[in-house]
Amino acid sequence: MQTAKRTILHVFLMGYLLVILYPFLFVLFSSVKTSNQEIAARPFGLPESLQWTNYANAWVNAKISTYFLNSLYIGLLSACLSILLAAMLAFAISRMRYRRLSMLLFQLVLLGMLIPNNALLLPIYGMMRELHILDTHLALIVPYTANAIPFSVIILTAFMRALPGEIEEAAVMDGLSPLGLFAKIMVPLTLPALVTIFIINFLGNWNEFLLANYFLSDDALMTLPVGMVGFRDAYNTNYAQMSAGIVFSVLPVLILYAILQEKIIEGVTAGSVKG
Amino acid sequence: MNQALRRPLIYLLFVLPGLVLFAAFFIYPVLTAVTNSFTSWNGISQDKAYIGVDNYTLALSDAAFWRSVRNNSYFILFSCFVQVPLIVLFSLLIAQVKKLKGLYKTAVFLPSILSTAVIGILWGFIYHPDFGLMNEALGLFGIESVYWLSDRRWAMVAILITNAWQWTGFYIIMVLAAILAIPAELEEAARIDGATGIQRALRITLPLIVPILSVVVMLSIAGAMKAADIVLVMTKGGPAGSTDVMATYMIRYAITSFKHGYGNTIAVLIFVFTIVLTAVYQLLIARRIEGREA
Repeated sequence: MQTAKRTILHVFLMGYLLVILYPFLFVLFSSVKTSNQEIAARPFGLPESLQWTNYANAWVNAKISTYFLNSLYIGLLSACLSILLAAMLAFAISRMRYRRLSMLLFQLVLLGMLIPNNALLLPIYGMMRELHILDTHLALIVPYTANAIPFSVIILTAFMRALPGEIEEAAVMDGLSPLGLFAKIMVPLTLPALVTIFIINFLGNWNEFLLANYFLSDDALMTLPVGMVGFRDAYNTNYAQMSAGIVFSVLPVLILYAILQEKIIEGVTAGSVKG
Repeated sequence: MNQALRRPLIYLLFVLPGLVLFAAFFIYPVLTAVTNSFTSWNGISQDKAYIGVDNYTLALSDAAFWRSVRNNSYFILFSCFVQVPLIVLFSLLIAQVKKLKGLYKTAVFLPSILSTAVIGILWGFIYHPDFGLMNEALGLFGIESVYWLSDRRWAMVAILITNAWQWTGFYIIMVLAAILAIPAELEEAARIDGATGIQRALRITLPLIVPILSVVVMLSIAGAMKAADIVLVMTKGGPAGSTDVMATYMIRYAITSFKHGYGNTIAVLIFVFTIVLTAVYQLLIARRIEGREA
């Protein structure tokens, strides 16, 4: 009786799993098929022969390599910048002795979490134009860095507040300046939180579409999601190659997720609940 | 001690860079959006003509704008009445099993960390009328091919399904965490009193996760008001504007047709609608749920 019940539960859950994972399998199979005809003829089946050339073609002809490197560099740089700025801000708010001012700043940053950022697309577009950085990578790096600040500051402040006061007392007794306290004590102690936030921010930047789509028009500068959409619109006759492109864009995230799954789940859910 | 951590210059050094960036990208844009929303600015020229509330009356009397509002509300309704029941069901199921629990959690969460744009492309492929997975699967049951993304009747549903596919698992993990945090003694006591599995789920677990479900609805509202990329990638708002949401309507006017002032009006309206909806939800529903808890 018990085992029968268990089996029914697993059947339901496997059904859900199939719905989630099958699309990926479909893309993976399609990415090594010869042509649209083969996909159309046997959509559920394995390919007859493995066409790895689809990957080479997508990487070179479809310029996935360019988009991939652009995304990587913009994503990493913005994530680094926002984590540095957020950690400094969080340190000042949580550890320096300006209680009332810090409280006010924290409330202000909290307000940022309430603002639906898609609605800010137009004013930010205008700002980027006035700064003459539209159609350069800076037009993404600066807004991405800024966008991650509220979430990162909130999480890091909570983390730093939880550290015992004796640590900094000891450090100050030993003659450490606030700068030294930050760099030599706070950053190493909050490293786990910093890593989590770094990954979340990187994923957000890696996946971002709206700004990337409207702020850049030079094909050589585009990021992966925008490049992929352009690729689809231009080559929508070749689904096999497009599938290879999808694999390229999903793979890094899958690898990150495989290694740092716990951290990612914890970070993403914490970030949304705070909002 | 206090003196070491009370140095105004150092405080400024730490606070200023982040704060300036924050102000430039959160506070300043809100203010410019509001001022520009009262102009007929085209987004390029130097002169901005103030035209009072004309943009607002125009927007509020435009049927296409209200259609986009309706589509945003479909996102909310779909998540309340389709996703939430599924979320409850599957998080209860995952909480029950012991074997493969890790696998289920990992797989279910996966779509939510992928790019919405790429998921849009992927599902566009699945919805392909000739060889997409969807029609092939329906074909097995003898159902005729549907032009999912180019048929006005189906395009919005197709987008909602894709959106649910991406986000349901994310919420399942949140609710699951709440279920697993319920003290085991409660379950145990009910079991001893002879409650069946379904009774325990309905009478014990469900009432205890109502607060987190309220958070899920709250997040769905926020997500629904922001929806844009999925629509842009899958249908670009078409066919004939039938899948437009407020954000894509805004983009169409502001960037594609250079009605920057009008676009900013829509931005402000998105803002106002989001705040009003959130406030109403908080006051009418969330507070009542919390009240019952207390």
